[in-house]
Amino acid sequence: MPVTFTFGEWLSARSVIGSTLAELGGEYDNLWTITPEIGATLGEFRALYPDRFLDVGIAEQVSIGVAAGLAYEGNIPVVSGMLPFLSMRALEQIRSDVCYPNLPVKIIGTHGGLVGNGGSTHYAVEDLALMCALTNMTVTSIADPLMAGDILRQSMKMSGPIYIRLGVGKSDMVLYEPGQHDIQIGKGIVARDGYDATIFTHGTTVAQALEAAETLGALGHSIRVIDMFTLKPIDADLIERCAKETGGRFVVLEDHLAYGGLASRIADVLVDRNINLTAFERLGIPQVYAGFGGDEELRDKYGYGLTSTISAIMRVLATK
Amino acid sequence: MSTSISLSSEPKHTVAELEDLAYELREKLLYLCGTYEGAVHIGGDLSLADMLTALYHYGLNVDPDDISNPHRDRFILSKGHAAVCMYISMAMRGFFDFDDIVATYGQLGSAYGMHPCKVQLRGVEASTGSLGHGLPIAVGMAKSARQKGEKHRVFCVLGDGETGEGSVWEAAMAARSSQLGNLIAFVDRNHQLMTSFSEDRVVLEPYLGKWASFGWNVVSVDGHNMQDLVNIIDNLPSSDSTRPTVVICETIKGKGVDFMERNIAWHAGSLGAADLERAMAALESTRKVVSA
Repeated sequence: MPVTFTFGEWLSARSVIGSTLAELGGEYDNLWTITPEIGATLGEFRALYPDRFLDVGIAEQVSIGVAAGLAYEGNIPVVSGMLPFLSMRALEQIRSDVCYPNLPVKIIGTHGGLVGNGGSTHYAVEDLALMCALTNMTVTSIADPLMAGDILRQSMKMSGPIYIRLGVGKSDMVLYEPGQHDIQIGKGIVARDGYDATIFTHGTTVAQALEAAETLGALGHSIRVIDMFTLKPIDADLIERCAKETGGRFVVLEDHLAYGGLASRIADVLVDRNINLTAFERLGIPQVYAGFGGDEELRDKYGYGLTSTISAIMRVLATK
Repeated sequence: MSTSISLSSEPKHTVAELEDLAYELREKLLYLCGTYEGAVHIGGDLSLADMLTALYHYGLNVDPDDISNPHRDRFILSKGHAAVCMYISMAMRGFFDFDDIVATYGQLGSAYGMHPCKVQLRGVEASTGSLGHGLPIAVGMAKSARQKGEKHRVFCVLGDGETGEGSVWEAAMAARSSQLGNLIAFVDRNHQLMTSFSEDRVVLEPYLGKWASFGWNVVSVDGHNMQDLVNIIDNLPSSDSTRPTVVICETIKGKGVDFMERNIAWHAGSLGAADLERAMAALESTRKVVSA
């Protein structure tokens, strides 16, 4: 049964995160926010709880190391910054100082994918592959700005680390009516139901997947869209169910390297569970260092824009 | 010292007693190095032995029977490869059993391994081993103490070679910016890296000036002179002060065993039974003759 999709209002995930942190700061007197000088999101928290805010300057490694030290002392640190730098410059600190002792450090940041027109130094396109490789790490990629705050709140109960990936986070589409979905870390969201094929996606490309499904729906195709916002631990049961219910036809769409991200996580489940598909297509960033351009222009250029998504779905639908 | 709450059940040792403890620590280090079949980072353990004795038996306000007490001083071994020197110092202070360390070190399932793991060994404050990671963690701990109004100190021991890591200097800036006078770094300035002498490979000098230029309170000391180490500890600035302190300890890698001293071959190694005897004899010859 297709669900009618309508574009929602636009909100800033950063401002949602900022106000959620300010709220949580009042509820948890051991919540800290730390930033390597990307602190605009934290303004509200800083104003309310200046003694639990730390801007270390342009120094990603120490931002994570300090967070580990704070967590050892019973605090809950949230490190906010730009993901290309946090996920790579501070990768070893994340791995050895946070994940190894399994500390409740939250890493939240922007610029996941080919977004923001910063060029390849400023695009986080390998981050999910890197984070998924780390034992103890929970890995998420968030599309909906309201959901970003919700996930942050849910993560307060976690005893280990979490990585929360956003796009640019300045202007994001509200995809989910509050209360419409049961959103839980570790469970995929059926953003749109359908029975002919499934698109799995996360983060910045969820809206595009919904638009593709809507377009094909008008042509009589019933396309399921799964927002697999938790890449680790992956919702393997949902993947298995989608294989059975949507004719074994999968498209994986992501603003990340096509190999190493969600598509690879899903492929692992398929192999491990011996699930046979009719068709499997992955859309994502090829092995290139992308240049400049608008977000949609870059997706089009590298073969994972709206047109490519529709074509890929048509191909899996045509596979017998 | 300005520590507000004393946890220590151990009476303050005299310098002579501390020297005896440092000697015993070296004996135990050599014994482990002679009985464990694999390599032990004996060179950097021996350069640290006096420093860790001064800290564990004199400077640190800790209680082995109350390892989670919030008022305890924190100790982080940033040069994590000197773990055995810390394990044995802690054992001598009452945290662990030395025989247990000897019996299980490096074995499958043991909590005592080449680099310290907080998860596996209660009493260790942070998992370390990768160089350049300890000081940032110490900054976080010191920052937390400040925010909670706690008066304890955070001590962090680094190797001089380790300070080639850029993250050390990120942490040095962060500590100064946050005015963490409750943070005390001890640098084991043994002038050697793993395969070379430091100034041949990377120019660290002017070393005191480097730390001073980062706004730290800098003290230099003979890291093998127990009286000097005790004096430094007695005169540390108040934990309420606004400048972090670094104590640059001039040391000799392999200190106490003549054939290991300043010898590149003894960054890490294993002593067989014969060499253990030779090393023990060399150590014995360094013992001060105490007049009756």
